[in-house]
Amino acid sequence: MFLNKIIGLARSPTSVNQLSNLFQRCLISSTSAFQNKLTPAQSLEVSKYDERKDPVKNINEMIKNDEAGRLFAVVHICGKQFKVTAGDIILIEGHWEPSNGDELRLEKVLLCGSQDFTLIGRPILQKDLVNVQATVIEKSLSHTRTHFKFKKRKQYRRINFQRQPTTVLRINSIEIKNLVNQNKNAESLENVFY
Amino acid sequence: MVFLTAVNLIRSRGPDEWWRKRKIFKLAAYFYGRRRNCYSLAIRSVHRALVYATKSRQERKSDLAELWKQRITAGAAQHGIEYWQFMDGLHKNNIEINKKNLADLAAWEPASFESLAKISKDFVEKNRNK
Repeated sequence: MFLNKIIGLARSPTSVNQLSNLFQRCLISSTSAFQNKLTPAQSLEVSKYDERKDPVKNINEMIKNDEAGRLFAVVHICGKQFKVTAGDIILIEGHWEPSNGDELRLEKVLLCGSQDFTLIGRPILQKDLVNVQATVIEKSLSHTRTHFKFKKRKQYRRINFQRQPTTVLRINSIEIKNLVNQNKNAESLENVFY
Repeated sequence: MVFLTAVNLIRSRGPDEWWRKRKIFKLAAYFYGRRRNCYSLAIRSVHRALVYATKSRQERKSDLAELWKQRITAGAAQHGIEYWQFMDGLHKNNIEINKKNLADLAAWEPASFESLAKISKDFVEKNRNK
């Protein structure tokens, strides 16, 4: 019966907010800042994007009013690209300089998307546009990989063991810092070190 | 003077037989039938397994690349554009997201992928008559 009630609520468009309140009440309150942003109630909200307006104005309005919601980004780290969102944990293989506990700002953001819009970099977004904060939480070695070569009836056998240094990175937050299309002299890759 | 211990050391090389076999049996622990318990059978299959593991570490990369290509092709086809046209359009527009992430976008972020497809489509249509 309760389930029927929920479905009834969901069908009537006026009571979407009621339903989202229902979910919000079910949530366990969390202290961390970025976890608070990830309430499932957000996905039920009606989109604020108005397709009749100019997209840049539209997006800038959403950014101003803080309506962008949860963001994801494609970032370039240590020669690899990762699609991340706040709270993600990613594993980077190979030698990488940052040490444990370092707080980093990932600057090579190739793409940043929200529920209603996507910012695409050519090839990366302007430095001051998107702020992706990350923390190094672990530096260790990977599991042992056995490299074994063998030829039958030829007395040929080579065995090597190999472990790679790995870095575990936690993405703390992804935020849009500035308005889109404000900085007219668009920055090229000159200031980026590869 | 006779050095008996040195001669004995040369003869008895390596770890004890039991320990040597134990290393192999540990790797063969999950095998089926007698290959798990009989050393002469176990060592054969352990060697094979290790060779497969070594080779497939390379193959995995090409397998995944194939999967990504399939997913991008399917995603692009949804918006009426071919794989190579889609990729070409992106590269000519200086968008350098790799295939792994494009496949991810195609699967999980259809709206973002649609806008990427639009960019390449525009490029293709502009350059059609050139």
